[in-house]
Amino acid sequence: MSTHDGITDRVGAFGREAVSNGWTTERFAVLGLIGLVLLAFGPTFQVYLFTEFMIIALFALAFNLLYGYTGLLSFGHAMFYAGGSYGMAIVLRDASPYVAEVVGSGIAPLVTFVLGALAGVSLVLLIAVPVGWLSVRLEEIYFALITLAFGMLVFSVIIQNPGGLTRGTDGVIVTLGITEVAGMEFRLGERRTYYFLTAAIVLPSIYAIWRVVNSPFGTVCKAIRESPDRAAALGVDVTYHRWMTFVVSAAFVGVAGVLIAGLANVASPYHAHWTTSAIPVVATVIGGATFFAGPIVGAFVFLYVRWGISRFPALEAHWEFFFGLMLIGTVLYFKQGAAGGLLMLRGWLGDVRAAYDRGGTDAALDYAKESTSERLGRGDRSAEEEGGDRE
Amino acid sequence: MVREPGTIRNNENRFGDRVRRRTVLKAAGTGLAATGLAGCLGDDDDGTVTLGAMYIFSGFASLYGDEAERGYEMAVEEINENGGIDGQDVEIIARDTEGDADTAIRQMTSLIEEDGVDGLFGLDSSGVAQAMAPQVEEQQIPLMVTHAATPFLTSPEGEHDNSVGNEWVFRNCNSLSIDMYGAAQVASELDVSEWATIGPDYAFGYETWDYFEAFAEGLGVDAEFTDEQYPALETSDFTPYISAIIDAEPEGVITPLWGADLTTFLGQADEAGWFDAIEYTLFSVGMGTDLPADGSPLPEGQHASTRYDPFVPETEENETFRETYYEEYETLPTYNAEGAYRAVYLYKEAIEEGENDPDAIRDTFTGMDHSGPVGEYQFAEETNQAVVPAIWGTVTEDAEWESNVLDPVEVHEVDADELDDLLADSELPSGV
Amino acid sequence: MDPSLTPAFVSVSDVVIGLSLGSRLFLIAVGLSLIFGVLGVLNFAHGAFYMIGAYVTLAVTNQVIDNFWLAVLAGAVAVGAIGALIEIGTIRPLYERAEGELDQLIVTFGFVLVIHEAVRFVWGSQPYSIDAPASLAFSVSVAGSTFSAYRLFVIGAAFVVMAGLWLFITKTYFGALVRGTSSDREMASMLGVDVPKLYTAVFFLGSFLAGLGGALSAPLQSTSPALGDQVIIDAFIIVVIGGLGSMFGAFVGAMLVGLMQAIGPQFIAAGHIAIPFLAMVIVLLLRPEGLFGGIGE
Repeated sequence: MSTHDGITDRVGAFGREAVSNGWTTERFAVLGLIGLVLLAFGPTFQVYLFTEFMIIALFALAFNLLYGYTGLLSFGHAMFYAGGSYGMAIVLRDASPYVAEVVGSGIAPLVTFVLGALAGVSLVLLIAVPVGWLSVRLEEIYFALITLAFGMLVFSVIIQNPGGLTRGTDGVIVTLGITEVAGMEFRLGERRTYYFLTAAIVLPSIYAIWRVVNSPFGTVCKAIRESPDRAAALGVDVTYHRWMTFVVSAAFVGVAGVLIAGLANVASPYHAHWTTSAIPVVATVIGGATFFAGPIVGAFVFLYVRWGISRFPALEAHWEFFFGLMLIGTVLYFKQGAAGGLLMLRGWLGDVRAAYDRGGTDAALDYAKESTSERLGRGDRSAEEEGGDRE
Repeated sequence: MVREPGTIRNNENRFGDRVRRRTVLKAAGTGLAATGLAGCLGDDDDGTVTLGAMYIFSGFASLYGDEAERGYEMAVEEINENGGIDGQDVEIIARDTEGDADTAIRQMTSLIEEDGVDGLFGLDSSGVAQAMAPQVEEQQIPLMVTHAATPFLTSPEGEHDNSVGNEWVFRNCNSLSIDMYGAAQVASELDVSEWATIGPDYAFGYETWDYFEAFAEGLGVDAEFTDEQYPALETSDFTPYISAIIDAEPEGVITPLWGADLTTFLGQADEAGWFDAIEYTLFSVGMGTDLPADGSPLPEGQHASTRYDPFVPETEENETFRETYYEEYETLPTYNAEGAYRAVYLYKEAIEEGENDPDAIRDTFTGMDHSGPVGEYQFAEETNQAVVPAIWGTVTEDAEWESNVLDPVEVHEVDADELDDLLADSELPSGV
Repeated sequence: MDPSLTPAFVSVSDVVIGLSLGSRLFLIAVGLSLIFGVLGVLNFAHGAFYMIGAYVTLAVTNQVIDNFWLAVLAGAVAVGAIGALIEIGTIRPLYERAEGELDQLIVTFGFVLVIHEAVRFVWGSQPYSIDAPASLAFSVSVAGSTFSAYRLFVIGAAFVVMAGLWLFITKTYFGALVRGTSSDREMASMLGVDVPKLYTAVFFLGSFLAGLGGALSAPLQSTSPALGDQVIIDAFIIVVIGGLGSMFGAFVGAMLVGLMQAIGPQFIAAGHIAIPFLAMVIVLLLRPEGLFGGIGE
């Protein structure tokens, strides 16, 4: 018992101290950045996995800009993911020699990468502006279905290999090459370099999305989500706002697409397939759509659970089974997603702490036991309650 | 490893009565994996040779992964019962590529960097294999491709816009170009003035037709190549495509359809009177689906090819493989199973001949002479493609094996220079 | 009559093929549309249900009783029961939730993965085939093309199911409850309708129809674990074109898509994937409620 008290005391003291010393957002940010830099020197595969996580997180976060803040669920955002990856891949393949001629072969790979990224995002905008304009006229499930249809149209165009550009089902292979600046040679595709490059693009993108969400524009979006009719009555052009959000969301997905092409070293037609559109949807549901960071947490769970499964041959052979169960379980038992679950956990720890302050360890343990059994027992009861509601 | 008793079952009762032997093995393997995880980063000196197997284990094409798994598990069992590789046990870590390049590359990276595998083998999808080739070169690890068939994979980089071949990528089974060389040989003996194709709507479908046409023209086959139909993968009704072909009235059709698409097509083609209207149908990968499928869907008397035939060559090695496999799984081995089986043996021989080191393995693989169930063959130095023959034959039901077999079967030996000559007029690389 | 000599734009046999394709698509789409119309649930696992119907039929004819028709019934009932259990266990808790529609979509998507893997575990990945029942194992010549009698039977079966459902929904007491509940659930609830039970019953019926579609299709195509993946997207397209929730719309939508698929390959060598999606976009933009809106219409 005494050790128990000791640990709780120490944890409590540490927490109080941290708060009173001012653990501000800035300090957390610095800590996070140090963590990011340290990770770069961790196991090489973890660097790869974390790079992919950052990309999927941006994909999901950009998707949720539309879903979480205007209530429009797109089931076709893969078309923008593919737009980014193909824009990048095609420029790298076809424009490299010309770029080398203009800027010299040393720095050419880097310049081509930047041009490819610009091309990818421009291509996405070119698709998103008309597709968004047409799609935002619809709502709810109809919006989901029309974006699904547009996405699959893009997929079918890619596999038709128009003008020999996309190489059909094989996809376009991406080679990032060796850049030479001022006598220094570096490979953009090198694991750690690409990791920092991805971080340097994803973090500002996340910040930009955060700014959008917290701007007057974002406030209007939230008003639209809560009640489109009321927003319209207040003089908001609902369709226009949705259209603009659609375009911004698509552009950031395009950035994620650009980055995946460089990481996986291929622009694959499956980047445009509806199963890829399902990735941000699933990540957002797992993470919690109502929290800004929800899709990021969801992307983390999505990718790391799949990785965890692959570490066990017995599970790997049937990974879909366990993945499916996880999806069902998350939706049923974690209504707010994993991010909500984390917040719930924090609240619960606070309650335990309060009980401890009131009556010491025993009270805290009692509270913990009681609240846990209450939560576990709730599954059956809530079903009964709901049944009763409708009668 | 324990062989499960009672794996021989009444064939009529096969449906739903499959013993999931691999599941048992897999469960046993969990312990090993957990140990690997505890040790975190795998290293080469842990007393086992570790190989990474990458196949499609989920979705539409999971048949291919399941077949390959039978092959490599058999090889592992045999090798470990007979002293392993240089006294070390061999362990296979299997990963699902999901037929998707992003996933495949992540899985490959994990196999190399987390599990510290000594070599890689597998790959079903040509698209995935092409995306993977530059990656294995970068990682400096040998990759033995056992199924993906595109010639561009073993055509050295630079030979053609799409070529991705490099010194780390090998293929131990015959490629699309070898197979189509055989098909063109078959075509040269048939009295057909008009050929058509019905193939799956992706690169494999189109390349089959391109190579078939190119080789046939190279061999001076006097025929026209007319109607092409490419139904999407997972089409549930091929009837519109079937009637389009029947209406075009070709005398011969070549089809690279596979898996559930092939069996669906066969039922519907039969119903529409395909085999009355069209004299010759050449099934280029049909045997890979026919053997494990329920019943024997390929119609007797038609031509089919295989990358490995369980009865050719008539060597003791092949016979032993066939008998053991049949005893274990109750079907004749497909080329997928044989390719995966042989890949494990290739690693065994390369490691025993040189040492367990990526460069050494690659050097040994280069130009290596090898013999397996498929026969004796050599890896071409330029391309790293195994120079194995094209095998075409007539589909015949065999009562003894309760299965379709190719009888009579014709083995077309290939010669790299000859293939290049035949393709000279086209822009296609032979990849041999 | 030699079809290649007729310059006809669309031959009779193309129409038969189109109807045949459409009738199978209808059997899967109608249950999806019914469930959406009444419960507001877009069931992603509907294609997986269709697949289970085919597998159960195969298993029953191979191992239990060598009677195709009983096996079809077993397949449909089994899928209906699985659907009802899934509804009670995992969909029902989500009706009252805000954003519940998305949650339902994800849960049913989770079941796609689970069912897919479970089927692969039990039956393996290899394709299975089954013969048409002996009583229908003969060929019929229609306008110069040969069709199996069974294929024509399935076309007839689709018409019978359509008619039966229409009578059931419009003429029976249960149908009246379904219609009432689909247009105003709270009102129905206040009038004493046991809504949860009704929902389960409708989910059973919709799943039963998916199972029936899979079971009846088993002799026409081979059965493998991926069977459901393609049909679910086709079914989405059909219910959108026909109108979400409309059974008659599902019928017309299925026949239209069937005809498009039958005639398309002769005119367009490439792009057959694009055509149905293009049709879907056009319908959604011009008439988002579909060609026919509302249940029972």
